[in-house]
Amino acid sequence: MSVYAVDKVCRRVVCEPGFADRLREDPESALRAANPPLSDSERELLLAGDVGRLGRMGANFFLLHQLGRFELFGLTLPSYAQRIRTEYRSERAGWRAG
Amino acid sequence: MCAGVAEIVGALGVPHNPFSALLVAQDADGAAEPRRLYGAVAEHLHAMRPDTLIVFTTDHYNLFFELSVPIFAIGVAESTSGPSDYPMLPHYDVAVDAVLAKQIQTAVVDDGFDVGMSQEFELDHTITAPLGVMIPRMDVSIVPLWISTSMRPIPSARRCYALGSAIRGAVERSPLDRRVAVVASGAFSFEVGGPRMSEDSHVGVPAPEWALRVTELLAAGDIEALISETTPAQLAAAGNAGGEILNWIAMLGTFDAGAPLFIEAQRAEGHAFAAWSAR
Repeated sequence: MSVYAVDKVCRRVVCEPGFADRLREDPESALRAANPPLSDSERELLLAGDVGRLGRMGANFFLLHQLGRFELFGLTLPSYAQRIRTEYRSERAGWRAG
Repeated sequence: MCAGVAEIVGALGVPHNPFSALLVAQDADGAAEPRRLYGAVAEHLHAMRPDTLIVFTTDHYNLFFELSVPIFAIGVAESTSGPSDYPMLPHYDVAVDAVLAKQIQTAVVDDGFDVGMSQEFELDHTITAPLGVMIPRMDVSIVPLWISTSMRPIPSARRCYALGSAIRGAVERSPLDRRVAVVASGAFSFEVGGPRMSEDSHVGVPAPEWALRVTELLAAGDIEALISETTPAQLAAAGNAGGEILNWIAMLGTFDAGAPLFIEAQRAEGHAFAAWSAR
Protein backbone atom coordinates (compact mmCIF):
# COMPACT_ATOMS: atom_id res chain seq x y z
CA MET A 1 0.00 0.00 0.00
CA SER A 2 2.36 2.72 -1.08
CA VAL A 3 0.76 4.80 -3.83
CA TYR A 4 0.77 7.30 -0.99
CA ALA A 5 4.56 7.19 -1.21
CA VAL A 6 4.41 8.25 -4.89
CA ASP A 7 1.95 11.03 -4.10
CA LYS A 8 4.18 12.25 -1.30
CA VAL A 9 7.21 12.43 -3.60
CA CYS A 10 5.18 14.58 -6.02
CA ARG A 11 4.03 16.87 -3.23
CA ARG A 12 7.57 17.30 -1.90
CA VAL A 13 8.64 18.50 -5.36
CA VAL A 14 6.42 21.55 -4.82
CA CYS A 15 6.62 22.02 -1.06
CA GLU A 16 10.14 21.01 0.02
CA PRO A 17 12.90 23.42 -0.96
CA GLY A 18 15.79 21.63 -2.65
CA PHE A 19 14.00 18.34 -3.26
CA ALA A 20 13.41 18.95 -6.96
CA ASP A 21 17.10 19.83 -7.35
CA ARG A 22 18.13 16.58 -5.64
CA LEU A 23 15.83 14.66 -7.97
CA ARG A 24 17.54 16.29 -10.94
CA GLU A 25 21.08 15.70 -9.67
CA ASP A 26 20.77 12.10 -8.52
CA PRO A 27 17.22 10.90 -9.01
CA GLU A 28 17.78 7.31 -7.96
CA SER A 29 19.42 8.23 -4.64
CA ALA A 30 16.80 10.85 -3.89
CA LEU A 31 14.03 8.33 -4.53
CA ARG A 32 15.75 5.60 -2.49
CA ALA A 33 15.80 7.98 0.46
CA ALA A 34 12.03 8.58 0.27
CA ASN A 35 10.00 7.90 3.39
CA PRO A 36 7.73 5.97 3.33
CA PRO A 37 9.83 3.88 0.93
CA LEU A 38 8.83 3.43 -2.69
CA SER A 39 8.49 -0.10 -4.03
CA ASP A 40 11.04 -1.11 -6.67
CA SER A 41 8.43 -0.81 -9.42
CA GLU A 42 7.26 2.62 -8.23
CA ARG A 43 10.83 3.89 -8.19
CA GLU A 44 11.49 2.48 -11.67
CA LEU A 45 8.29 3.97 -13.07
CA LEU A 46 9.16 7.37 -11.61
CA LEU A 47 12.70 7.22 -13.02
CA ALA A 48 11.23 6.34 -16.42
CA GLY A 49 8.67 9.16 -16.19
CA ASP A 50 5.97 6.54 -16.75
CA VAL A 51 3.15 8.66 -15.37
CA GLY A 52 0.55 6.67 -17.30
CA ARG A 53 1.31 3.51 -15.34
CA LEU A 54 1.57 5.42 -12.07
CA GLY A 55 -1.84 6.92 -12.73
CA ARG A 56 -3.25 3.47 -13.42
CA MET A 57 -1.83 2.30 -10.12
CA GLY A 58 -3.84 5.00 -8.35
CA ALA A 59 -1.41 7.89 -7.99
CA ASN A 60 -3.11 11.28 -7.76
CA PHE A 61 -3.15 13.01 -11.15
CA PHE A 62 -2.97 16.54 -9.79
CA LEU A 63 0.15 15.59 -7.85
CA LEU A 64 1.63 13.60 -10.75
CA HIS A 65 1.35 16.58 -13.07
CA GLN A 66 3.79 18.47 -10.86
CA LEU A 67 6.51 16.15 -12.25
CA GLY A 68 5.81 17.66 -15.68
CA ARG A 69 5.57 21.20 -14.35
CA PHE A 70 8.94 20.90 -12.61
CA GLU A 71 10.42 19.01 -15.62
CA LEU A 72 11.61 15.96 -13.71
CA PHE A 73 12.40 12.44 -14.98
CA GLY A 74 12.61 13.75 -18.55
CA LEU A 75 9.06 15.09 -18.49
CA THR A 76 7.63 18.42 -19.55
CA LEU A 77 4.00 19.45 -19.17
CA PRO A 78 3.27 18.59 -22.84
CA SER A 79 5.00 15.20 -22.65
CA TYR A 80 3.33 14.48 -19.30
CA ALA A 81 -0.04 15.21 -20.89
CA GLN A 82 0.73 13.08 -23.94
CA ARG A 83 1.67 10.08 -21.77
CA ILE A 84 -1.59 10.33 -19.81
CA ARG A 85 -3.61 10.65 -23.03
CA THR A 86 -1.84 7.64 -24.52
CA GLU A 87 -2.41 5.48 -21.44
CA TYR A 88 -6.11 6.40 -21.37
CA ARG A 89 -6.67 6.34 -25.13
CA SER A 90 -9.49 3.81 -25.07
CA GLU A 91 -11.38 5.46 -22.21
CA ARG A 92 -11.04 8.84 -23.90
CA ALA A 93 -12.52 7.44 -27.11
CA GLY A 94 -15.47 6.18 -25.07
CA TRP A 95 -15.97 9.57 -23.40
CA ARG A 96 -15.92 11.36 -26.75
CA ALA A 97 -18.50 8.93 -28.10
CA GLY A 98 -20.47 9.01 -24.88
CA MET B 1 -32.30 39.65 19.09
CA CYS B 2 -29.42 42.05 19.26
CA ALA B 3 -27.73 42.73 15.96
CA GLY B 4 -23.94 42.63 16.05
CA VAL B 5 -21.67 45.22 14.57
CA ALA B 6 -19.98 42.92 12.08
CA GLU B 7 -21.87 42.45 8.84
CA ILE B 8 -21.53 40.60 5.56
CA VAL B 9 -21.69 43.23 2.84
CA GLY B 10 -21.29 41.16 -0.31
CA ALA B 11 -19.78 38.15 -1.98
CA LEU B 12 -17.73 37.11 -4.98
CA GLY B 13 -16.94 33.97 -6.90
CA VAL B 14 -13.76 33.79 -8.96
CA PRO B 15 -11.51 31.18 -10.55
CA HIS B 16 -7.83 30.89 -9.63
CA ASN B 17 -6.01 29.74 -12.76
CA PRO B 18 -2.39 30.60 -11.96
CA PHE B 19 -1.55 31.14 -15.60
CA SER B 20 -4.20 33.87 -15.96
CA ALA B 21 -2.71 35.69 -12.98
CA LEU B 22 0.74 35.28 -14.51
CA LEU B 23 -0.44 36.83 -17.78
CA VAL B 24 -1.78 39.82 -15.86
CA ALA B 25 1.38 40.14 -13.75
CA GLN B 26 3.55 40.10 -16.88
CA ASP B 27 1.13 42.24 -18.90
CA ALA B 28 1.50 39.55 -21.55
CA ASP B 29 -0.61 38.65 -24.57
CA GLY B 30 -3.87 37.21 -23.28
CA ALA B 31 -3.91 39.42 -20.17
CA ALA B 32 -6.81 41.55 -21.37
CA GLU B 33 -9.58 39.00 -20.81
CA PRO B 34 -8.66 37.93 -17.24
CA ARG B 35 -7.97 41.58 -16.40
CA ARG B 36 -11.43 42.56 -17.66
CA LEU B 37 -13.25 39.79 -15.79
CA TYR B 38 -11.36 40.09 -12.50
CA GLY B 39 -11.69 43.85 -12.89
CA ALA B 40 -15.47 43.68 -13.29
CA VAL B 41 -15.76 41.70 -10.07
CA ALA B 42 -13.16 43.83 -8.28
CA GLU B 43 -15.19 46.95 -9.03
CA HIS B 44 -18.03 45.51 -6.97
CA LEU B 45 -15.59 44.31 -4.30
CA HIS B 46 -14.10 47.79 -3.86
CA ALA B 47 -17.60 49.30 -3.65
CA MET B 48 -18.31 46.96 -0.73
CA ARG B 49 -15.42 48.61 1.22
CA PRO B 50 -14.60 45.39 3.08
CA ASP B 51 -12.30 45.26 6.10
CA THR B 52 -12.03 41.49 5.93
CA LEU B 53 -12.48 38.84 3.25
CA ILE B 54 -13.57 35.35 4.24
CA VAL B 55 -12.10 33.20 1.47
CA PHE B 56 -13.43 29.70 0.82
CA THR B 57 -10.86 27.71 -1.08
CA THR B 58 -9.37 24.28 -1.74
CA ASP B 59 -5.87 23.50 -0.56
CA HIS B 60 -4.03 22.12 -3.59
CA TYR B 61 -2.03 19.57 -1.56
CA ASN B 62 0.24 22.39 -0.40
CA LEU B 63 -0.88 22.71 3.21
CA PHE B 64 -2.69 19.60 4.42
CA PHE B 65 -1.33 16.22 3.44
CA GLU B 66 0.88 14.11 5.69
CA LEU B 67 -0.28 14.91 9.20
CA SER B 68 -3.95 15.61 8.67
CA VAL B 69 -6.47 16.44 5.98
CA PRO B 70 -9.34 18.31 7.63
CA ILE B 71 -12.64 18.41 5.77
CA PHE B 72 -13.06 22.01 6.97
CA ALA B 73 -10.31 24.19 8.44
CA ILE B 74 -9.91 27.87 9.25
CA GLY B 75 -6.72 29.91 9.40
CA VAL B 76 -6.23 31.71 12.73
CA ALA B 77 -2.66 33.05 12.38
CA GLU B 78 -2.00 36.80 12.63
CA SER B 79 -0.48 36.98 9.18
CA THR B 80 0.53 34.85 6.25
CA SER B 81 2.11 35.05 2.81
CA GLY B 82 2.11 33.31 -0.51
CA PRO B 83 1.87 31.76 -2.96
CA SER B 84 3.79 28.74 -1.73
CA ASP B 85 3.37 26.79 -4.95
CA TYR B 86 3.99 29.11 -7.93
CA PRO B 87 7.22 31.05 -7.31
CA MET B 88 6.84 32.89 -10.63
CA LEU B 89 3.67 34.63 -9.40
CA PRO B 90 3.80 37.86 -7.36
CA HIS B 91 4.41 37.18 -3.68
CA TYR B 92 2.27 38.86 -1.04
CA ASP B 93 2.31 39.30 2.71
CA VAL B 94 -1.31 39.13 3.84
CA ALA B 95 -2.87 40.15 7.15
CA VAL B 96 -5.20 37.61 8.73
CA ASP B 97 -8.19 38.75 10.79
CA ALA B 98 -7.28 36.29 13.55
CA VAL B 99 -9.75 37.71 16.07
CA LEU B 100 -12.69 37.22 13.74
CA ALA B 101 -11.32 33.83 12.59
CA LYS B 102 -11.20 32.54 16.16
CA GLN B 103 -14.69 33.86 16.89
CA ILE B 104 -16.00 32.11 13.78
CA GLN B 105 -14.31 28.83 14.67
CA THR B 106 -15.67 28.87 18.22
CA ALA B 107 -19.17 29.74 17.05
CA VAL B 108 -19.42 27.14 14.31
CA VAL B 109 -17.98 24.37 16.49
CA ASP B 110 -20.69 25.30 19.01
CA ASP B 111 -23.13 24.94 16.12
CA GLY B 112 -21.95 21.41 15.34
CA PHE B 113 -19.50 22.11 12.50
CA ASP B 114 -16.20 20.45 13.33
CA VAL B 115 -13.92 23.03 11.74
CA GLY B 116 -10.24 22.46 12.47
CA MET B 117 -7.71 25.26 12.55
CA SER B 118 -4.27 26.08 11.27
CA GLN B 119 -2.17 28.42 13.40
CA GLU B 120 0.71 28.70 10.94
CA PHE B 121 0.30 28.42 7.19
CA GLU B 122 1.24 29.75 3.80
CA LEU B 123 -1.32 30.58 1.15
CA ASP B 124 -1.23 28.89 -2.21
CA HIS B 125 -2.14 30.36 -5.58
CA THR B 126 -5.85 29.69 -5.04
CA ILE B 127 -6.00 32.75 -2.77
CA THR B 128 -3.10 34.95 -3.86
CA ALA B 129 -3.69 34.66 -7.63
CA PRO B 130 -7.24 36.07 -7.71
CA LEU B 131 -6.74 38.51 -4.82
CA GLY B 132 -3.47 39.74 -6.27
CA VAL B 133 -5.18 40.68 -9.53
CA MET B 134 -8.19 42.28 -7.79
CA ILE B 135 -6.38 43.94 -4.84
CA PRO B 136 -2.75 44.46 -5.91
CA ARG B 137 -1.93 46.41 -2.70
CA MET B 138 -3.42 43.57 -0.63
CA ASP B 139 -4.61 46.14 1.91
CA VAL B 140 -7.30 43.94 3.38
CA SER B 141 -7.36 41.19 6.01
CA ILE B 142 -8.45 37.69 5.18
CA VAL B 143 -9.91 34.69 6.96
CA PRO B 144 -9.05 31.57 4.93
CA LEU B 145 -11.53 28.73 5.12
CA TRP B 146 -10.35 25.53 3.46
CA ILE B 147 -12.83 22.94 2.26
CA SER B 148 -11.39 19.58 1.27
CA THR B 149 -12.92 19.31 -2.20
CA SER B 150 -10.22 17.31 -4.02
CA MET B 151 -9.24 14.33 -1.92
CA ARG B 152 -12.05 11.86 -1.31
CA PRO B 153 -14.11 11.81 0.82
CA ILE B 154 -15.41 15.32 0.16
CA PRO B 155 -18.28 16.99 2.00
CA SER B 156 -21.75 17.29 0.50
CA ALA B 157 -23.12 20.41 -1.16
CA ARG B 158 -25.78 20.73 1.52
CA ARG B 159 -23.23 20.46 4.31
CA CYS B 160 -21.08 23.17 2.71
CA TYR B 161 -24.11 25.45 2.33
CA ALA B 162 -24.99 24.86 5.98
CA LEU B 163 -21.42 25.70 6.99
CA GLY B 164 -21.76 28.98 5.10
CA SER B 165 -25.00 29.71 6.96
CA ALA B 166 -23.31 28.96 10.30
CA ILE B 167 -20.47 31.33 9.42
CA ARG B 168 -23.04 33.99 8.58
CA GLY B 169 -24.54 33.53 12.03
CA ALA B 170 -21.10 33.78 13.63
CA VAL B 171 -20.32 37.01 11.80
CA GLU B 172 -23.69 38.53 12.61
CA ARG B 173 -23.25 37.72 16.31
CA SER B 174 -19.72 39.15 16.41
CA PRO B 175 -19.34 42.44 18.29
CA LEU B 176 -16.37 43.36 16.09
CA ASP B 177 -16.73 46.41 13.86
CA ARG B 178 -16.17 44.70 10.53
CA ARG B 179 -17.42 44.92 6.97
CA VAL B 180 -16.96 41.38 5.69
CA ALA B 181 -17.02 40.26 2.06
CA VAL B 182 -17.02 36.57 1.22
CA VAL B 183 -14.99 35.14 -1.64
CA ALA B 184 -15.28 31.70 -3.25
CA SER B 185 -12.27 30.50 -5.23
CA GLY B 186 -12.59 27.78 -7.83
CA ALA B 187 -14.01 26.28 -11.00
CA PHE B 188 -17.19 24.32 -11.80
CA SER B 189 -15.67 21.77 -14.17
CA PHE B 190 -11.92 21.34 -14.46
CA GLU B 191 -9.40 18.52 -14.78
CA VAL B 192 -5.72 19.04 -14.03
CA GLY B 193 -3.31 16.39 -15.23
CA GLY B 194 -5.90 13.63 -15.36
CA PRO B 195 -7.28 11.41 -18.12
CA ARG B 196 -10.03 13.88 -19.04
CA MET B 197 -7.65 16.66 -20.01
CA SER B 198 -8.07 18.23 -23.45
CA GLU B 199 -6.22 17.11 -26.60
CA ASP B 200 -3.83 20.05 -26.54
CA SER B 201 -3.18 20.80 -22.87
CA HIS B 202 -2.57 19.20 -19.47
CA VAL B 203 -5.90 20.63 -18.29
CA GLY B 204 -9.45 20.33 -19.57
CA VAL B 205 -13.14 20.92 -18.94
CA PRO B 206 -14.80 17.49 -18.75
CA ALA B 207 -18.35 18.78 -18.17
CA PRO B 208 -18.84 22.09 -20.01
CA GLU B 209 -22.64 21.73 -19.98
CA TRP B 210 -22.54 21.39 -16.18
CA ALA B 211 -20.45 24.55 -15.89
CA LEU B 212 -23.04 26.41 -17.96
CA ARG B 213 -25.87 24.94 -15.91
CA VAL B 214 -24.20 26.19 -12.72
CA THR B 215 -23.84 29.63 -14.27
CA GLU B 216 -27.54 29.67 -15.27
CA LEU B 217 -28.65 28.65 -11.78
CA LEU B 218 -26.45 31.30 -10.20
CA ALA B 219 -27.77 33.95 -12.60
CA ALA B 220 -31.32 32.95 -11.68
CA GLY B 221 -30.56 32.88 -7.95
CA ASP B 222 -31.83 29.30 -7.78
CA ILE B 223 -29.49 28.14 -5.05
CA GLU B 224 -31.71 25.26 -3.92
CA ALA B 225 -31.57 23.72 -7.40
CA LEU B 226 -27.81 24.21 -7.46
CA ILE B 227 -27.43 22.36 -4.16
CA SER B 228 -29.75 19.55 -5.27
CA GLU B 229 -27.97 19.08 -8.59
CA THR B 230 -24.48 19.12 -7.07
CA THR B 231 -24.55 15.39 -6.40
CA PRO B 232 -21.53 13.16 -5.76
CA ALA B 233 -21.94 11.73 -9.28
CA GLN B 234 -22.03 15.21 -10.82
CA LEU B 235 -18.98 16.26 -8.82
CA ALA B 236 -17.09 13.17 -9.98
CA ALA B 237 -17.98 13.91 -13.61
CA ALA B 238 -16.86 17.53 -13.31
CA GLY B 239 -13.15 16.65 -13.12
CA ASN B 240 -10.56 16.40 -10.37
CA ALA B 241 -10.95 20.12 -9.59
CA GLY B 242 -14.73 20.16 -10.10
CA GLY B 243 -15.32 19.90 -6.35
CA GLU B 244 -14.37 23.56 -6.11
CA ILE B 245 -18.04 24.41 -6.74
CA LEU B 246 -18.41 23.52 -3.04
CA ASN B 247 -16.43 26.65 -2.18
CA TRP B 248 -19.04 28.65 -4.11
CA ILE B 249 -21.92 26.84 -2.39
CA ALA B 250 -20.44 27.58 1.05
CA MET B 251 -20.09 31.24 0.02
CA LEU B 252 -23.75 31.28 -1.08
CA GLY B 253 -24.74 30.14 2.41
CA THR B 254 -23.36 33.32 3.98
CA PHE B 255 -26.11 35.66 2.70
CA ASP B 256 -29.51 35.62 1.01
CA ALA B 257 -28.32 35.11 -2.55
CA GLY B 258 -30.63 36.54 -5.17
CA ALA B 259 -29.63 37.50 -8.67
CA PRO B 260 -25.96 38.51 -8.85
CA LEU B 261 -24.76 42.03 -9.60
CA PHE B 262 -22.48 40.51 -12.21
CA ILE B 263 -21.90 37.07 -13.64
CA GLU B 264 -20.02 35.96 -16.72
CA ALA B 265 -18.82 32.49 -17.63
CA GLN B 266 -15.70 31.58 -19.55
CA ARG B 267 -17.10 28.60 -21.38
CA ALA B 268 -13.78 27.12 -22.45
CA GLU B 269 -12.44 27.34 -18.90
CA GLY B 270 -15.34 25.70 -17.02
CA HIS B 271 -15.71 28.60 -14.61
CA ALA B 272 -17.33 31.99 -14.07
CA PHE B 273 -16.80 35.32 -12.37
CA ALA B 274 -19.62 36.68 -10.19
CA ALA B 275 -20.44 39.27 -7.55
CA TRP B 276 -23.41 39.67 -5.21
CA SER B 277 -24.63 42.32 -2.85
CA ALA B 278 -25.64 41.01 0.56
CA ARG B 279 -28.22 43.76 1.02
